[in-house]
Amino acid sequence: MTYGRFRTSLVTVVALVALAAPAARAADPKEEDYYKILTFEPPKGLVLEVGGLEWLPDGKLAVATRRGEIYLVDNPYAADPAKDAKFTVFAKGLHEILGLAHRDGWLYVSQRGEMSRIKDTDGDGKADLFETFCDGWEITGDYHEYAFGSKFDRDGNLWVALCLTGSFTSDQKFRGWALRITPDGKMIPTTSGLRSPGGLGMNAVGDMFYTENQGPWNGACALKHLEPGAFVGHPDGHAWYHLAPNLGEKPAPPKSGGRLSEEVKRIPKLRAPAVYFPYPKMGQSASGISCDLSGGKFGPFPDQLFVGDQSASTIMRVALEKVNGRYQGACFPFRQGFASGCLPSLFGKDGSLFIGETNRGWGSRGPREFALERLVWTGKVPFEVHTMKAEPDGFTLNFTEAADPKTAADPKSYKLETHTYIYQSSYGSPEVDQTHPTITKAEVSGDGKSVRLFVDKLVEGHVHELHMDGVKSTTGVPLLHKEAYYTMNAIPKASAKP
Amino acid sequence: MIAVARRVLSSFVPLLSSLTLLPAAYSADPPSPDHAIVAGFERFHSGPIPDPVRGGLLLLGELNCTSCHRTETGADLFLNKKQAPILDAVGARAKLPALRKLLADPQSAKPGTTMPNVLAALDGDAKKDAIEALVQFLATTGSVKDKPLEASKLNAGREKYHQFGCVACHGRRDGKPTPAVSIPLGNLSAKYSVDSLRTFLVDPHKVRPSGRMPSLNLDNNDAVEVANYLLKDLAVNLTPSLRFRCYEGQWVKVPDFDKLTPTRSGESAGFDLGMASRPTQYAMRFEGFFRVDRDQEYTFHLSSDDGSKLWIDGKDIADSDGIHPLQTGVGRVKLAPGAHKIVVGYFDGGGQVELIVEIESANLPRQSIEPYLSLSDGPPAPSTKPGEAEFTPKPELAETGRALFATLGCASCHQLARDGKVIEPGVSSVPLDVARIDAGCLAPTPAAKSPRFALNDSQRKALADAIRFLATKPVAPDAKHVIAHTMTANNCYACHSRDGVGGVEDERKASFETTYADLGDEGTLPPHLNGVGGKLTTEWLEHVLADGAKDRPYMKTRMPKFGAAAVGPLAKLLATVDPVAPASLKPEFGLPDKKVKTIGRHLAGTQAFGCVQCHNFKGIPSAGIPAMDMSLMTRRLQHDWFVRYVVDPQSYRPGTRMPSSWPKDESQLTEILDGSSRKQIEALWLYLADGSNANPPYGIGRSPIPLVAEKDAIIYRAFIEGAGTRGIGVGYPEKANLAFDANEGRLAMIWQGGFMDASKHWSGRGDGFQPPLGDNIIAFPRGPSLATLTDDKQPWPTAAPKENGYRFRGYRLTKNDRPTFLYEAGTVRVEDAPDGIVADGSPAIRRTLSLSASGDESQVWYRAAVGSKIEKKSEGWYAIDGEWTTRVEAGAASVVRESAGRWELIVPVRFSGGKARVTQEYRW
Repeated sequence: MTYGRFRTSLVTVVALVALAAPAARAADPKEEDYYKILTFEPPKGLVLEVGGLEWLPDGKLAVATRRGEIYLVDNPYAADPAKDAKFTVFAKGLHEILGLAHRDGWLYVSQRGEMSRIKDTDGDGKADLFETFCDGWEITGDYHEYAFGSKFDRDGNLWVALCLTGSFTSDQKFRGWALRITPDGKMIPTTSGLRSPGGLGMNAVGDMFYTENQGPWNGACALKHLEPGAFVGHPDGHAWYHLAPNLGEKPAPPKSGGRLSEEVKRIPKLRAPAVYFPYPKMGQSASGISCDLSGGKFGPFPDQLFVGDQSASTIMRVALEKVNGRYQGACFPFRQGFASGCLPSLFGKDGSLFIGETNRGWGSRGPREFALERLVWTGKVPFEVHTMKAEPDGFTLNFTEAADPKTAADPKSYKLETHTYIYQSSYGSPEVDQTHPTITKAEVSGDGKSVRLFVDKLVEGHVHELHMDGVKSTTGVPLLHKEAYYTMNAIPKASAKP
Repeated sequence: MIAVARRVLSSFVPLLSSLTLLPAAYSADPPSPDHAIVAGFERFHSGPIPDPVRGGLLLLGELNCTSCHRTETGADLFLNKKQAPILDAVGARAKLPALRKLLADPQSAKPGTTMPNVLAALDGDAKKDAIEALVQFLATTGSVKDKPLEASKLNAGREKYHQFGCVACHGRRDGKPTPAVSIPLGNLSAKYSVDSLRTFLVDPHKVRPSGRMPSLNLDNNDAVEVANYLLKDLAVNLTPSLRFRCYEGQWVKVPDFDKLTPTRSGESAGFDLGMASRPTQYAMRFEGFFRVDRDQEYTFHLSSDDGSKLWIDGKDIADSDGIHPLQTGVGRVKLAPGAHKIVVGYFDGGGQVELIVEIESANLPRQSIEPYLSLSDGPPAPSTKPGEAEFTPKPELAETGRALFATLGCASCHQLARDGKVIEPGVSSVPLDVARIDAGCLAPTPAAKSPRFALNDSQRKALADAIRFLATKPVAPDAKHVIAHTMTANNCYACHSRDGVGGVEDERKASFETTYADLGDEGTLPPHLNGVGGKLTTEWLEHVLADGAKDRPYMKTRMPKFGAAAVGPLAKLLATVDPVAPASLKPEFGLPDKKVKTIGRHLAGTQAFGCVQCHNFKGIPSAGIPAMDMSLMTRRLQHDWFVRYVVDPQSYRPGTRMPSSWPKDESQLTEILDGSSRKQIEALWLYLADGSNANPPYGIGRSPIPLVAEKDAIIYRAFIEGAGTRGIGVGYPEKANLAFDANEGRLAMIWQGGFMDASKHWSGRGDGFQPPLGDNIIAFPRGPSLATLTDDKQPWPTAAPKENGYRFRGYRLTKNDRPTFLYEAGTVRVEDAPDGIVADGSPAIRRTLSLSASGDESQVWYRAAVGSKIEKKSEGWYAIDGEWTTRVEAGAASVVRESAGRWELIVPVRFSGGKARVTQEYRW
């Protein structure tokens, strides 16, 4: 009898949910209401597997490809780029370009074997001078040995992030390192421990970051600060410390199978990632990094970082803070649905984000083989968590709009889980050491734009995965993205917080 | 218990560690076990036992208890009985000393064996006599043919043993850390010859029909290699018993040997065709003696591939002549006691080779004649039974052994058929349900007549609990019990987890290897089996269990073949307990099937969802990860599972790389089939259902991308084979091409015709070095073009140019994209301008180097050519190795010199006003 009744009620519930679902979905906010994707259509036959993007002084967009070509795009801000943007070839025959930067009439081009700079000296619209700017590293010929280039940093340096030889080893000079190249072409070995970068970018104050991908010594993809002198996790590049006397002794080798939070205490140069992108909840292949310096033209997230994911065809959002002098923070889903695998990105002067895409060799959710797209803010402010800041006993969430105090103050509107990864020499890691802290209290600020969560208790070294399914805006709209992942390398001390 | 298991003493360890052939690390191996090892029991039941009955039921099956102790109908349902090895041909498989040792004390001969000691009640001479009689009897089933190891096979054998999956159950043997408890192998080289182990490995089920030793589907070559490796400490000491002569040639019948001249001759141990030292097309003549001790008729069976003939005392006795697969000819002859001369002629016309000679009489079961052979007709020579100097066949004793085989209980477990009849057991034991759990085999000191199993306390307790449980006449076990029991008995859990049980143990993980390290555990470890009955079709599951599989291209480990008998109804039971929630109703397309399949094919290609970015298709490798072949999918997978899986791979295979093209059930391709994920998935399925008849999707495999210089030159910077990692290929419209090595500052290659095919680098991840597309390639040796030499005797520098003052500076392009390479050679700045030209109607290269320096350098030399032969021709031309000609002008006389074992054409560079110029022309 009981069983029968239970069945009946279950069926009823299912039916109700099914009825309610379409109505609820119609009211749900959609990403495209706030950020629109515009897609360029290169001429037929042009294989635009984008590896690098840069602006030229004349307003043209330079687009470099994995096939070693550079195209210039006229009219990149066209409302209908598929129709009105024009592509012309600027250079060909280069070696898998994964970085473009412009300075003083030169386009700096990151090729596998060297940083080059190229120029059109006779004004015919095509580069005719190709100079080797720096070639202080070596390659074995393994496909994995990519060289990602940056934009110029505040000192005028270019940075190069060099993939290992394959996932596991550094078989040639400086594989698995980040190097700086000074304005006069000198090379400064800067940070060791890289594995498989997917892009480089600076935050608003000009500190350099790169994205790392899940693999040996990396439990999940991550955003890492390229602090000069630091070791960021994969020890095979240690072999080249003798060529980097500026960095002193090589760090002790890490022990495989433990936890990074413990090894960081034992190895002074070792740094934990600023932000993990939990695999595959956030993505599977972190890539290009762009900082929104538009002062609000891209919406309510100025100074935050926008990070691509090649596999998921998404752009993620990262809000960093400094705790104990080191970066950590949260990542949030931001926009999905790009046409191919997102690789480099670049903000335009109007505050829109240009994204270069390719999925050759690594499948992507976006079905095209390659694409160039532009993400434009519609002017509507989404109801989102703007920032998530660590407190000694919880978090402060700031919203882009006022939250409904009733839902935001209800601890049951939230669910918090934590996990970390095994720090190990084999590939990747499952999520381990899970905890389920309790949110004991949620205090909403007077203006409703922030909420203080009290948590029992935070776990140092863990990713804190927060679900906010119950939080509504004052107009009853749920969050556009209901989840956030905070990497808690350090729990701020009560006194240390201003 | 653990303390006992770690006991170091045993007769086996000292034996192994005394062998110098073994790596030093071997001595650090886990100690030999002191009790019967049943993998599933050790792993799941040897600690504190949550459910001792299960462990006991497992042992009842694995120790073969019910072969003696009958069970009521019903109890069998709880067991999965493991049949003991079939001994029909044990004499051809195991060496007699090893059998003798095993009979005397199974645990010391093979620590961890599940074989009980059945002779424990006997001692002294009685035991010795019984063993001898049994050995005599077993020897009538065949004889082991020993032969030397092939050292060339050891490495491949080691690799295969450690990669194919043997070490999922057995211990490592390469000195690397190995788990404490593995299924013991015993002293293999004491037991097997290379041939007998090979035969066993190719088809282990023939001897062990219950599949506990599954087949890894080794082909003959794999098995030879693994056998050589496993027997690497084998000492072969063969006593020759025949004289042979070998002849090379092609025959269709056994030739008349008297008219031929042998190419080799010598002595062999038995009819060893290996003495021919060639694989096929030869003939051999063997000659020797054998003794018989009775005056009676003897039958000879002569089997061969190809033909053979047998003569005894000069008389034609048996004939199996002609070209044919293995065929047997039979002959009979009455022989008097004493020695008789035997001659066998054999030839091979091609293909397989085999020769077997057997003898049979009223008191002698059909068996190989080899143990009876000797080189002379004198008194009986020592036998060729390997390592068994004193063995002489004694038919009467063998008969006694045959009787003992039944009465001692051997026949209760071991099947052994002689003359087509299986020997019936000659002992009876109490039925299991009245068996006392503290008496008989289970007594702490087993009864005199009971077989002695090497049981430890927890095994004894588990058995007792299981017997008690069965005595309650329980209702039939449920499907879950049978599944778990089958998986434990067959040690499926060594590789696979299911519902939180089993999976690869941490200490064994390193023994699973992948072809693709970037796949991590997903590509290394066998898949979990949660819900597998709802995932795979029952037919496919049955096929995989019965035949084994190698469907995951990235795994080096194979799914072994257990055989249908070993797993019983496992596949069907899995299907009943693992239903997958049905997918929503099949969509209506309103389109013809062909059209839907066309759409499915499009979806799989790189212009849509790009499944083939990772998945192979009909054996064509994908450009990225070698994920499973898509053309297999609809044969393997259940439709509804597929529909659910592709939408949310993570929930079925946590951590997988497999992305969803329909996240949250929403399609990324809204314009195809109304953007309906359900329709798109169904279209994909329908397309894949064509299996090997489906046309591969767009983007799989590589199509050539030839780069062609039309009007302007064309540049290709890439990994170029012959020009290094920083190769710069230049194709000229004149159809002359070159590759410059930017890392070393040298012209690396010139060639004519097609320039480069970019598809290697522009498809997939682009791994590897690409050679030129065209023809007539002249590759130049490494080393810089320019060097500073004190005189023309100093050798050309061999240091890496980058460490020796060379710096690549880039290049400049002309209006027609022809490059001038810019570099520094020490203090000299170089502009190196090659150009494609047509000379005498052929593509050629002219190269102009403009050099500048702050002063007039006087010791700079240019090397124009290197070869093993440089000939001076007219008008300043030189011919190099007869392959190409060149002329160099630098304002000074060139020098042809021999240096470092090669010839070089070098020329001093004359500076004037800080400038110099060198030109060189290449024709070929």
